[in-house]
Amino acid sequence: MKSIQRQLSIGLIAMLLVVGLLLAQTSVWLFDKSLRSYLQSGLEDEAQTLLLALVRGPEGILLDSTRLSASYQRPYSGHYFRIDAPGQTWRSRSLWDSELKPSSTPGLQQALGDGPQAQKLLTYRGDYQRFGKPLSIYVAEDYTPVLKSVRRVQQIGLAMGIAALFVLLLLQRWLVHRALRPLEQTRKQIAQLQQGQRAELDNEVPEELLPLVGQINHLLAHTEETLKRSRNALGNLGHAMKTPLAVLFSLASREELVQLPEIRKNLEDQLEQIEQRMGRELGRARLAGDVLPGAYFDCDRELPSLVSTLAMIHRRDINLQWHAKPGLRLARDREDVLELLGNLLDNACKWANSQVELRIETTAQGYCIWVDDDGPGIAEEKRSEVLSRGIRLDEQVSGHGLGLGIVRDIVEAWGGSIELEQSDLGGLRVQITLPIRPHI
Amino acid sequence: MRLLLVEDHVPLADELVASLSRQGYAVDWLADGRDAASQGAVEPYDLVILDLGLPGKPGLEVLQEWRAAGLSMPVLVLTARGSWSERIEGLKAGADDYMSKPFHPEELQLRIQSLLRRAHGLANQSHIEAAGLRLDESRQCVHRGDDEVDLTAAEFRLLRYFMLHPGRILSKSHLADHLYDGESERDSNVIEVHVNHLRRKLGRDAIETRRGQGYRFTGDMA
Repeated sequence: MKSIQRQLSIGLIAMLLVVGLLLAQTSVWLFDKSLRSYLQSGLEDEAQTLLLALVRGPEGILLDSTRLSASYQRPYSGHYFRIDAPGQTWRSRSLWDSELKPSSTPGLQQALGDGPQAQKLLTYRGDYQRFGKPLSIYVAEDYTPVLKSVRRVQQIGLAMGIAALFVLLLLQRWLVHRALRPLEQTRKQIAQLQQGQRAELDNEVPEELLPLVGQINHLLAHTEETLKRSRNALGNLGHAMKTPLAVLFSLASREELVQLPEIRKNLEDQLEQIEQRMGRELGRARLAGDVLPGAYFDCDRELPSLVSTLAMIHRRDINLQWHAKPGLRLARDREDVLELLGNLLDNACKWANSQVELRIETTAQGYCIWVDDDGPGIAEEKRSEVLSRGIRLDEQVSGHGLGLGIVRDIVEAWGGSIELEQSDLGGLRVQITLPIRPHI
Repeated sequence: MRLLLVEDHVPLADELVASLSRQGYAVDWLADGRDAASQGAVEPYDLVILDLGLPGKPGLEVLQEWRAAGLSMPVLVLTARGSWSERIEGLKAGADDYMSKPFHPEELQLRIQSLLRRAHGLANQSHIEAAGLRLDESRQCVHRGDDEVDLTAAEFRLLRYFMLHPGRILSKSHLADHLYDGESERDSNVIEVHVNHLRRKLGRDAIETRRGQGYRFTGDMA
């Protein structure tokens, strides 16, 4: 997963490094260049002074050492010269035992020459005519102190650059964090949405985010609306089909047909098949499954009315208890959960002698639902058979069995699992494990 | 027992009216929710069978209106919408029982019988029993000890009403209100005749006459 923060940081670092290095290098280069051209004029002056120090002597040209600056006398002073005349060469005393190498081109030398004691020399060569003879005068100056100070400037620059980069990064992190806060908020809201803690996203977001949030909200509303509409349509369809079916059931039990038991039996069987199939398919089509992220089931609010409904339907003295942590919300569609629990409890009430217990708990992986009864239970070897019954409708025993078909459909739509076990109460325990909704 | 059936699907209503009449109930049939709301509030029905998907006014609203007006007759909701969330809504609105369509006629019959027994304080009995008599509603006869006494349809209707209200003084007009539907002729002499028939079968003192007040079922076998 790419993080915007990280990407921005990497981009900023790269950009600052390139620009900073380029800037530093250019300024060093410019500094060096201007210093050299400044030193060049000094060296030119020196060369001319040297030229004037050459005097005509009795045996040709002589260098008048009295006219030379003292720094040419002191060894390794950093100021050196060399004068090449045809057949004659003068060297400054300061060179001592080292050599100032002649160069091929006149003017300031691009490359720094090697001097004594690892000095780097900036060298100027001037070509002159004196006393009718061509002369090449080399004047050199130790450039090492300049190099040193340049390096120092570079070091200071680097340190300041790194510090600036660090500060900028921190600043950028803070800015980005600030700018992305609405995004983070939206992310949190989406998480809440998935846990069923809110129904839609907050619309108070920056305009860049508004289309996204608006679209998500629109999709949520649309999905909910579609679900409602299709449930309504299914309800209407069911109504349209089931009422005539009720008429047919009534007709099939008419007095006249009592005389024709075979036809009556056949009729009733077929009608029952239609009813079963229709009920199952309509029930399955009503399921919301996982499509509605904002849906939730509020245990405290829904369970009491479900329990009293069951008590009214069964009317026997069944002690129906439910246990769920106060405020527990299942992040699932309300109608789906009601359908699941209603069928499970209805079933348990049918078989129980006197006691039915519902427990809902949250676990690390999601939710766990137990429905226990103290009825006859199901023998261990028959449990898997009971569960697999209802995979195919025509295998179902009509009107009997556990009515687990729709329960299985719901659990499957949720990606959960269902198991039948021995209950502590003595009867059957149905255990359903549901995963927490997978994060998008 | 006088029942109100509110159902807009005519073939089903026809079937139900026919089968309920065979079981000795006086049945009024209405198809519109608004009519049901007003008529149910006026006529003394012993039980109402209410469809939820009604023209005019939804069944749940009709039910809520009745309950808000303090009417406490048992109401059996009959609906094709059988999901649990809808059942809960129905019972919250004040229904006493809930049946999803399609249903077996026998089951409806049993539910009606048990609702009526419950409404008259006989919640945990599977038969109507009063003063040593046991009424067999499916065969429309009455047992006294080991003896079985056959009844005509009219006698069965009358005796069932008496046995659900043992010890209470019931006037002739009250009996007529609960034994005949809204459309049949009411002749109090007919009731007198049936009371006499019952006395002949069960004993003179089983039903006593309170002059100017009406009849009272004592079940006295003397």
